[in-house]
Amino acid sequence: MKRTLRSFLLSLPMLLLTALMLTGGSIPREPSRLAALILTYLFFNTFFFLMLHKGRTDRYRAVLFVTYSVAFVIAFVSHLVEARGSMALTEANMIEGETPFCHVVIPMTLIPAALTKTIIFPGSITGTHASIAGMFVLWIGASLALGRGFCGWACFFGGLEDGFSRLLKKPLIKGIRPSWSYLPYAVLLAVVLIAAISLSPTYCMWLCPFKTVTEYVQVTSVKIAIQTAIFLSLFLGLVIVLPILTRRRTQCSFLCPFGAFQSFTNKVNAFDIRIDPDRCVKCGLCTKSCPTFSIDEASIKKGTTRLSCMKCGKCVDTCPKGAIAYHVKGTQLSRGILPRMLFLYPAFLFMSIMAGRQIQDAIVRIIRLVTTGSMI
Amino acid sequence: MKKLLSVLGYGWAVITIFIVLATFIGNNYFSKKFAGATGVTVSPWFSGGEVTLVVEHGAYRVSVHRPVFDGLTGERSEGFVQIDWKPAGGLPRVVTESITLPDGERVLVRLDTATGIAEATSESAGVLGVERAYKLRDGWAVRVLLRRLRSS
Repeated sequence: MKRTLRSFLLSLPMLLLTALMLTGGSIPREPSRLAALILTYLFFNTFFFLMLHKGRTDRYRAVLFVTYSVAFVIAFVSHLVEARGSMALTEANMIEGETPFCHVVIPMTLIPAALTKTIIFPGSITGTHASIAGMFVLWIGASLALGRGFCGWACFFGGLEDGFSRLLKKPLIKGIRPSWSYLPYAVLLAVVLIAAISLSPTYCMWLCPFKTVTEYVQVTSVKIAIQTAIFLSLFLGLVIVLPILTRRRTQCSFLCPFGAFQSFTNKVNAFDIRIDPDRCVKCGLCTKSCPTFSIDEASIKKGTTRLSCMKCGKCVDTCPKGAIAYHVKGTQLSRGILPRMLFLYPAFLFMSIMAGRQIQDAIVRIIRLVTTGSMI
Repeated sequence: MKKLLSVLGYGWAVITIFIVLATFIGNNYFSKKFAGATGVTVSPWFSGGEVTLVVEHGAYRVSVHRPVFDGLTGERSEGFVQIDWKPAGGLPRVVTESITLPDGERVLVRLDTATGIAEATSESAGVLGVERAYKLRDGWAVRVLLRRLRSS
């Protein structure tokens, strides 16, 4: 009882903050929107309470994260069909700056922006849904608060792989060389340089697997048909099949250039994951469980995770000796609740605000589908 | 020293909550400030570049953008010039517009708004033809491919 009360009291600020941020200061009157708001609010806060009460992070984070991604796809695609009639993006849409800006393209825009003061993306700087400036602000805030924790708590694509990676109880493909996890850095370098030379977002045009579930360029030429085949194959392979077979987030681990780029923000972030060498019995469970190959023998010896760590908490939950914990940089390694709480608050808050809007929209559309036969 | 680092560490950790709140609550404000401070615009390869001339034709108007040859540093040898016709409701079946290129030559652009077929006629060696016509939400845009001549 005492523990339940303590967990509730620790959750209280989150109850207030999510109430403020999810409502935006006003309660919707339309019944479906009100129902969506209440369901989303209860959903998030129940899982936050469980996170605190049970002392487990990843299993509850994963449920929210996967729901977020699914809701994002529903909301995004419905919005597109409503606005444009289809998921396909035409060149006219691009000329008119109607392409929503995605965080994955950020690394590719930096060199051209520095040298030409232009953003190589067919969106709008301000004033639209997912405007370029708006997403940059979100990215800067996420980088300062979470570092690469963005990938574990805020990326609206990551939940798809996260979900698929949990379908099987045991991996069917094991023993993947961790050195493959350096591949995204090579992809990052390549797409950044090619984007700068060609002044077009290379990764978006040629590789991004998530165009499968968001928007894609209308197929009007052989070149676009090839690009379509590539991203469909990458989605099937890296987002669905390999995560199922390996129980890892393979798109994030082997391809995503944004993830590689975001790893560097872990250097300027307040939080990291530490491994207590006195408690560690070198069972290797953390290494096997990490979705992004961010723990290996070398990092365990150093008492920390690799730069690619998304701070998802899976290793923390998996360690049978409690040797792994969230840590605030500059402080002593502690098994107390304070470092974990200090991380969970900004991480969970960020996720609940980003995801909350998408989940509410998805619920409204599902209600609309059930009552009218159409989500649009 | 350890105590100071601890205080700074915990202080930094607490500040992250406010960073998250500020990111969302102040997103509109920070976006505008960010855009204003950096002065960035969408690449002209996507937006068509700045409009340099507007010609009124009564029921519709024609916007002529500047020629785009922008490279990462310097200019590319090939580019385009974009011409927009708006609004769609005021356009006749066939529209034509004559524009002056940087080399002083003129190019006549003709667009059939029923079929979306456009053609460009010019004596200038810098005009390579029409890339294509784009049906916009409320009008049409045509991009004429150009080669940058040494004198321009």
